[in-house]
Amino acid sequence: MKPVRLALTALMLLGLSACADQGWNGKSIEGLMPELEFELTAETGETVTESVFAGRPVAMYFGFTHCPDICPTTLARLVAAVRRLPEPLQEELQLAFVSVDPGRDGPQQLADYTDAFSERMLGLTGTQRQLKALTRRYRTTYGYEDERADGSYNVSHSSAIFVFDAAGEPQLMLLDSLGVAEIAADLEKLLAERAENADNA
Amino acid sequence: MKILSGVVLVIALLAGALWWVADMQPAEPIEIDNPRVRLVPGGAPMAGYFTLTNHTDSPVRLVSAASEAFDHVMIHRTVVSADGNARMAHQDDGVLVGAGETVEFKPKGLHLMLMRAQRELEVGEAVEIVLGFEGLEPAERTVVFTVVPVTSS
Ligand SMILES: [Cu+2]
Repeated sequence: MKPVRLALTALMLLGLSACADQGWNGKSIEGLMPELEFELTAETGETVTESVFAGRPVAMYFGFTHCPDICPTTLARLVAAVRRLPEPLQEELQLAFVSVDPGRDGPQQLADYTDAFSERMLGLTGTQRQLKALTRRYRTTYGYEDERADGSYNVSHSSAIFVFDAAGEPQLMLLDSLGVAEIAADLEKLLAERAENADNA
Repeated sequence: MKILSGVVLVIALLAGALWWVADMQPAEPIEIDNPRVRLVPGGAPMAGYFTLTNHTDSPVRLVSAASEAFDHVMIHRTVVSADGNARMAHQDDGVLVGAGETVEFKPKGLHLMLMRAQRELEVGEAVEIVLGFEGLEPAERTVVFTVVPVTSS
């Protein structure tokens, strides 16, 4: 086969596999995981549950503030994607950063960190029991590596963004390989569908 | 006509001179492009990124990094496993750059892990970081990094 034809075939196959997932760039998790439910401490210091999002769709990321590389990169992409959405849709989406490192991420630390990305990003953390309950619910894990001599340590965590609809039903997992345009396309599709459903209701 | 040929002659001479000067300059053995520190608020570690090109005909190895602006600097790589979990791996052996090769320190990959800033940094500020190499003379290079916003790549 000629290289050009080979490339075209590969492109077609890629297109097909994307279509198989209902046109999402991310991974659809609709119906595969339970609805959003948690009890955590917000960056305000208050104990909150999923009702803190007041029935808005949520994009949630698990990380820690002492993560200089992948956490800011992913959060910055998410925020850049949201900025590409039509204005009314931007307002609708709630962003959430759940720190799985409560030892270092107190409310003030979380507030400073999330404010650097977006005023619509809420920082959350909790006890190990609370964090385990939430991460297990979405089949993800986190763990702590050995402390260095200076007391610092690394934390392993999920690299995906979990997107929930207004009812707290899980919808999408945005994998770390997605770029800003791909994330924006998924968020717009998800939020536009919600607007349509609201109109029909 | 006379003026035109005069102009052409001057341009040709200038071009020749420039070419000669460029040729006389010793080629930099290593080149570091776009060095930047991504500012993270709240005293958490920051990441340093750059592109490193080895112009020599033998491999060089980046083995250390230090800065007066930070208490401690490590060389890390972010690794995302098949199950989507992310972690950072300390590069115990440093980073090898083959002859003529380029290695990129960039988001979600290799980065300088800059621990505990010794003073409050601001976007646009310059921060010196000393990179230490094996296979290079002199072994240390002071590189001026620019502080960029946390939302930049
Ligand atoms: Cu690191």
